[in-house]
Amino acid sequence: MKLLKKSLAAVLAIALLLGMSACGAEKASTSPTPEAKTPETTPEPGKEQITINFFSNLPDRTAGQGLLEQTIIDNYMNENPHVTIKVEALQDEPYKQKFQSYVASNNLPDIFNVWGQPAFFQAVMEKGYAAELNPDDYKDYGFFEGSTTDFSYNGKLYGLPRNQDMTTVFINKAIFEENNVKIPTTYNELVEAAKAFRAKGIQPLSINGRDKWILNLFFQDLVIKVSGNQRTIYDASTGKTSFASDPDIRKAAELFKGLVDAGLFQDSFTSADYGAAQNLFLQEQAAMFYMGAWEVGMASNPDNSEHFRQNVALIPFPVVEDGKGKVTDVCAWNGGGYAVSASSPVKDEAIKLLNYMMHPDNWPKIGWQKGLVVPGQNYKNYMTGNENVLQVQLTDILNSATSMSGTPWNDFNPGDWKSNVENLIQEFAAGITTVDEFLTALDNVVPK
Amino acid sequence: MTSTRYASPSYNGKIKAKAFRYIQILLCTLLTIGCVFPLIWLVDFSLVKANELFGKNFLVWPKKPHWENYYLALTDGKVPQYLVNSVIVTFVSVGLIVLLSVMMSYGFTRMKWKMSKVFLNIVLLGFMIPIHATLLSNFITFSRLNIQDSPIALIIPYVAFNLPQATFIMTGFMDTIPNAIEESALMDGCGIIRLLFTIVFPVLKPAIMTVIITSFINVWNEFIMAATYLTSDRFRTLPFSIYNFAGMYSSNYSAQFAVMTLSALPSLVAYVILNKHITKGIAAGAVKG
Amino acid sequence: MDKIRRNKFVIFFLVFPGLLVFTFAVLYPIFMSAFYGMTDWKGIGEFNIVGFENYRKVIFEDKVFRTSLLNAAALAFFTVFIQHPIAMFFAIITDKIGGKLESFFRAVFFIPCVISIVVTSKMWVNVLNANYGLLNKFLEAINLKFLKQDWLGHKDIALFSVIFVIMWQGFGYAYLIYYSGIKGIPEELLEAGRIDGANSWQQFIKITLPMLKPVILVNVSIAITASLKQMEPIYLMTNGGPGTRTQFVANYLYMLAFNAQKYGYANAIAVVFVIVCLITTVVVQNIFKSKD
Repeated sequence: MKLLKKSLAAVLAIALLLGMSACGAEKASTSPTPEAKTPETTPEPGKEQITINFFSNLPDRTAGQGLLEQTIIDNYMNENPHVTIKVEALQDEPYKQKFQSYVASNNLPDIFNVWGQPAFFQAVMEKGYAAELNPDDYKDYGFFEGSTTDFSYNGKLYGLPRNQDMTTVFINKAIFEENNVKIPTTYNELVEAAKAFRAKGIQPLSINGRDKWILNLFFQDLVIKVSGNQRTIYDASTGKTSFASDPDIRKAAELFKGLVDAGLFQDSFTSADYGAAQNLFLQEQAAMFYMGAWEVGMASNPDNSEHFRQNVALIPFPVVEDGKGKVTDVCAWNGGGYAVSASSPVKDEAIKLLNYMMHPDNWPKIGWQKGLVVPGQNYKNYMTGNENVLQVQLTDILNSATSMSGTPWNDFNPGDWKSNVENLIQEFAAGITTVDEFLTALDNVVPK
Repeated sequence: MTSTRYASPSYNGKIKAKAFRYIQILLCTLLTIGCVFPLIWLVDFSLVKANELFGKNFLVWPKKPHWENYYLALTDGKVPQYLVNSVIVTFVSVGLIVLLSVMMSYGFTRMKWKMSKVFLNIVLLGFMIPIHATLLSNFITFSRLNIQDSPIALIIPYVAFNLPQATFIMTGFMDTIPNAIEESALMDGCGIIRLLFTIVFPVLKPAIMTVIITSFINVWNEFIMAATYLTSDRFRTLPFSIYNFAGMYSSNYSAQFAVMTLSALPSLVAYVILNKHITKGIAAGAVKG
Repeated sequence: MDKIRRNKFVIFFLVFPGLLVFTFAVLYPIFMSAFYGMTDWKGIGEFNIVGFENYRKVIFEDKVFRTSLLNAAALAFFTVFIQHPIAMFFAIITDKIGGKLESFFRAVFFIPCVISIVVTSKMWVNVLNANYGLLNKFLEAINLKFLKQDWLGHKDIALFSVIFVIMWQGFGYAYLIYYSGIKGIPEELLEAGRIDGANSWQQFIKITLPMLKPVILVNVSIAITASLKQMEPIYLMTNGGPGTRTQFVANYLYMLAFNAQKYGYANAIAVVFVIVCLITTVVVQNIFKSKD
């Protein structure tokens, strides 16, 4: 007993000392502010050692976009030995929270992920947190027409998109075949499929309802297919029309409810986060998976089972019977991208890194050829014929698209619009509110 | 014959008592299962392949344990690094909590000044203040002072939020012990610092033990401040590793379970070794608090 | 000697460091929050002073804030009327069991309390998962398939699942406090009861319960204030969903500040939150004092 206490006291004292000295030492070498530039690292002759802090929303560094990002970062560090890139990566929702806290404390990392959407990026550009980029640098980068619009403010460019995003229904062909369910092309077939899978105890469609925004996209897809007009949902969002009185939006809300009632979404979908929802599909427990086109890498990821990779495919969002929208009216936009902090002490180096990353030989080429992404830059020249099935199918849909939505409606207005409409749709999807209550509540949060 | 006659009620009584005892033990066993079975399930599925979770059985026998889940947890999960951070932060915080609370309590109970009651009550007010209400503005303050993203940003609030309880326990204990020895020491001209370390600390041992245990549990397991104030990986504490790892290995449940098991292990081991002191300390702390 | 006890410098030396840390990390942020709460700051750029507008909205208009308080009340109710009786019951029977078994059970019941909330919350998310979770599989195995539920996703069930998990996690504390209370009852009293021929129930009502009263009061007031302050389990399990059905104040203000960019408003909530906690504690203490 006595011994124990003595030893405890001793350990405590040592820890105290250690802790103090550790804190002292760490303090000196933390943030790369100019005055804190670490004197103990001996600079290489000629070039000064620099550290670039990289804040990413791609925590999985071994697959898909995260792998691509890490590959390019590693290449850059190899080519530029004087540069150290420190990556901090969090999933979308924690990323947004942390980003907000960085902004609030005016401590943004040197280069970071942004979503080119008013709800996210507009305030960042407007308040001068993002460094201005020189559009001439990117003349030959092959960015698709209009893809940098949402990364610009007042005619100035502040960020670059990385992908062509589109909502996508991924399917597992084997599950459809084994259970004799028809792959849906229309709304009614989707309802039938949901019921058929439910009857056999299979989860029809996996969706990350805890993250909420995905439900907004799903709803937007329905509105497009009902009204045939990409503007419909934006006009209601900006108060030009109203959610409650627009017959097409009302119809879409009823259809949405019909799908929830048919049990289309997996059990626990409102508490499933991105990883949980995707996992259900990867483990072949769900027949479909509703997600963005950025997940095309699933078909080439060796971590996924052979059986899965052979059976994964994607289909266009089903059309609605009597709806005015065509199968080629798609919900597509340029979402994720990068920007550099305006107050970064290594701003120029960070921009250099950004330019390197998005160079046609890097993000678009490596990403496309390794089957990791659908780039937001022209990738025609990089076709190898070895594309995975998802890339091919997606390119077909994109090439034949007759209209594209642009920024999703939940990201369309700045301020708290996003969190409001995301909460409302989750309540609606969970059966807490009725169609009427949902639509009226949406009208109530439209900025005046 | 007669003996059975007289014995029978007490014999019955014995059977009844025995039966009662077995029912009691049975009930406790059921509760034990309720307390630990989810944990066993967790460990079980950390040893198999991720997709076995989707099978029919609610426990599986890992014929060939998949230790690579633990390998991932130790390498990519960075459990060892986070463990070291946790140890440093916890020991420094707990040390400071003990030191400061003893000093303050001595100041409040034994020193003679007008405002002592007022200040004591202000500190005890801290009991009622939810830590979460301070997250937002502390975050801003820490980053303005440029101490966010360092262990200091955790140690300061950890100490601050554990001080009220610690002070409460200490003052309560100090009130019950006579101060004759201190008096004579002071008479002999002993300085206040020597007095604290040679006389007050030893006398307070039981109370200090209680404070160490309660604040250790609080600090060791704290998550939301660590998640909010720290930004870079190198200072993160153990509870965060799970959160971080869940993002990186979102599709590998077994590896996630392995990280969870590993993060639970240190405090569990400490508990098994010290469980008598811990339960005693907690009970004492709570009843006084 | 009295001189040294009145020595201002010594007093300052003893009390100041602790007070400084406490003031800096606990009191000061609340004053700052009170200020931020009067602005329309979005956490980015400049802000305007809007006076008490935010506070008015929190108190009179914010339905989610009200839901959060009601959820806390529900949690407190279940803790006091379900967790506590069970904890007390087991405290009594472990006391009767005695010997090695007693210490074994006592040790085991406290295990969930020493494990980090992050581990237990994440673990329960998996246990309660509708697709592969332990609970649904268990129900299926014992032929109670019809009881299978979407435990964390169903609008009417999610809150109870969350409450259950929080009660599970905190059971050890409640148990331990009752247990030590029971250990504090003098053996002679119980012995006297037994000689009077009181059965177990009478003994409980006549002796144990009255003797436990102070412990019950402490335990209940801890439970009520702790219910108000819940955050981590909600943040990690449901994030308040579906909709706002499982929202709690602390998680709500965190979401508002860091997801909805309503930094000023969130700070107003923080301040109201502190006041609610203070009032609750004072009210609870007074009720108990008058009963004592």
